[in-house]
Amino acid sequence: MIDYIYDGSFEGLLTAIYEAYYRKEKPEKIIAKGDIQEDLFVSYLHIETEEEKAEKVYNAIRDKISPIALKNVFYGFLSEDVDAGTFIYRYLQLGFKAGEKIDQYHTHEAVFQLHKISRRVGKEAHLMLGIIRFQKLKGELYYAVIEPQYNITALVAPHFAKRLASENWVIHDKKRNIASLYNKNQWIITEGNLQGEIVLDDEELQYQEMWQQYFKNIAIKTRINPKLQRNYLPKRYWKHLIEMKKK
Amino acid sequence: MEVLNKLEILADAAKYDVSCSSSGSNRKNTKGGIGSGHKSGICHSWSEDGRCISLLKILLTNECIYNCAYCVNRISNDIPRASFTPEEVAELTINFYKRNYIEGLFLSAAVVKSPDYTMELLIKAVQLLRQQYHFNGYIHMKAIPGADPRLIYEAGELVDRMSINIELPSSNGLKLLAPQKKKEAIIKPMGLISSQIIQRKEERRLYKRAASFVPAGQSTQLIVGATPDNDLSILRLSEGLYNKFSLKRVYYSAYVPVSTDNRLPAIAAPPLLREHRLYQADWLLRFYGFNAQELLQESQPNFDTMLDPKCDWALRNIHLFPMEINKAPYEMLLRIPGIGVKSAQRIVAARRFHFLSYDSLKKIGVVLKRAKHFITCDGKYYGEVGFKEKLIRQVLVGQEPQHEKTNIREGQQLSMFTS
Repeated sequence: MIDYIYDGSFEGLLTAIYEAYYRKEKPEKIIAKGDIQEDLFVSYLHIETEEEKAEKVYNAIRDKISPIALKNVFYGFLSEDVDAGTFIYRYLQLGFKAGEKIDQYHTHEAVFQLHKISRRVGKEAHLMLGIIRFQKLKGELYYAVIEPQYNITALVAPHFAKRLASENWVIHDKKRNIASLYNKNQWIITEGNLQGEIVLDDEELQYQEMWQQYFKNIAIKTRINPKLQRNYLPKRYWKHLIEMKKK
Repeated sequence: MEVLNKLEILADAAKYDVSCSSSGSNRKNTKGGIGSGHKSGICHSWSEDGRCISLLKILLTNECIYNCAYCVNRISNDIPRASFTPEEVAELTINFYKRNYIEGLFLSAAVVKSPDYTMELLIKAVQLLRQQYHFNGYIHMKAIPGADPRLIYEAGELVDRMSINIELPSSNGLKLLAPQKKKEAIIKPMGLISSQIIQRKEERRLYKRAASFVPAGQSTQLIVGATPDNDLSILRLSEGLYNKFSLKRVYYSAYVPVSTDNRLPAIAAPPLLREHRLYQADWLLRFYGFNAQELLQESQPNFDTMLDPKCDWALRNIHLFPMEINKAPYEMLLRIPGIGVKSAQRIVAARRFHFLSYDSLKKIGVVLKRAKHFITCDGKYYGEVGFKEKLIRQVLVGQEPQHEKTNIREGQQLSMFTS
């Protein structure tokens, strides 16, 4: 038995998929470097990331299967699930045979597994579109901190680039230490800690207070239902919500 | 008065408007502008009552010349009054929007001076947002019954959704509780908006640049439990509104006692379970191909609180079941309890490639604890209790979630009408 190990990047994963097709020894699993759990009976093959091979696989998925399949694969990757690489490999094995119909094989284990994780990522990305909270900082900059379960920063950035096109903004994923930055023109993803001190704009606290007040007043007292509230908005997201902060 | 105080009063006054949807419009941002629509809508938070907050929902003013018995803002109610200026509304909206608190604005108003005057105020505020602030986010505006059609058209050019509240399910109810509102004054503008939407859609097919008119459609709201109307007449009304005016949504709001008026029923708690059943039935009308007459009859004009409308329908039509999952047409799959639109579509897609087994249905997302009583897979039946209407009913009623808030007290509301 052999497992392929990739460096944890999307290109790395695609390279591993490429190798799986051209090497004699087929992988049992495809695992990111950080997720290995040593197993006596398994040997590991470290795959060197190669842009060219990754690109070939990327294009092949898009052209020979479908753009939707490519989206499923990318979202699956962003789930950071230990099994994501393996699920994607099995899904693509079937995909290169079945073509664009792959996503209709709802009951096939390989399709079901990948759909499950990619749907979770899509769901969280959508939720984040709503619950990201920007704070206005001195110097006309809007700054948001998030700690999402999945790595969705790159998925939400295009939305805000369109919507808040005339502002400077930063969405900072504190958990992964990455951020998307936008400068009224284009957005990029950067890694590493952000420099600079956070100084709020003079009006910021005033608007936060108004939002808290609004949030409190809009609930109908005879219908209070905290369980329902938590179903939609799990507590793990409350930390960065202005309206949930105790005054 | 400070904006914070006004917000407190005017958000409080607006909260009984149920709608907070921000879907249906994909308005694009303009150069140098701010904001955009999102086709499926985005929720930005959930308040303590579990309702989604998507829009900044406020009244422009809560000073009202009317005296509708069920309404907090009625003239005879002793509450603090306030009014926003259009500038204040615009500033607040833009600043909330930039911080991503909201998806847009839901602007309504109590009727101040006259319907026309009120409507003009609303238009002014929205005009300011669209034209001066170049705001392209979602705007839902209330149309004021009785306002001049010219004003309704003008507003429709600016907003994404318009709604006119039908308030009560029957004109008798309206006469009793809101004597200053006339059914005709509500229905007429609905017709205006609907025909204008259709006309503009035609035009846009011919010239792409023609301006949109209420692109996210219109909706309405009615109060459940303030009048003796039964579920069947409410559902028929909704059905009529969907068919005649192609409304996007009818919202039902369980009557919350906000005043003690002897024309109103005295209830201890709002009829939330009844509201829930109506929403379930509403979905069946819009997405599942049911009509009102199938779901309720004159002989049984109210929903069973113990069982959801779809299960109830299936049990009353048990002769149509069990259905073979591998053969039943799409329209019939939709009628099986435990199968929703998504899973019906997936079943149709997946069975093109292979026979569906009972176990594979779980992966598709079918709720087997309900569906198993109504289906066969490859000819085999999987319900354990036996295919008897009575037995299945017993099991399904036992499975209904325990609605904590909906205890016996809710039943009391009916007593004053039946005695």
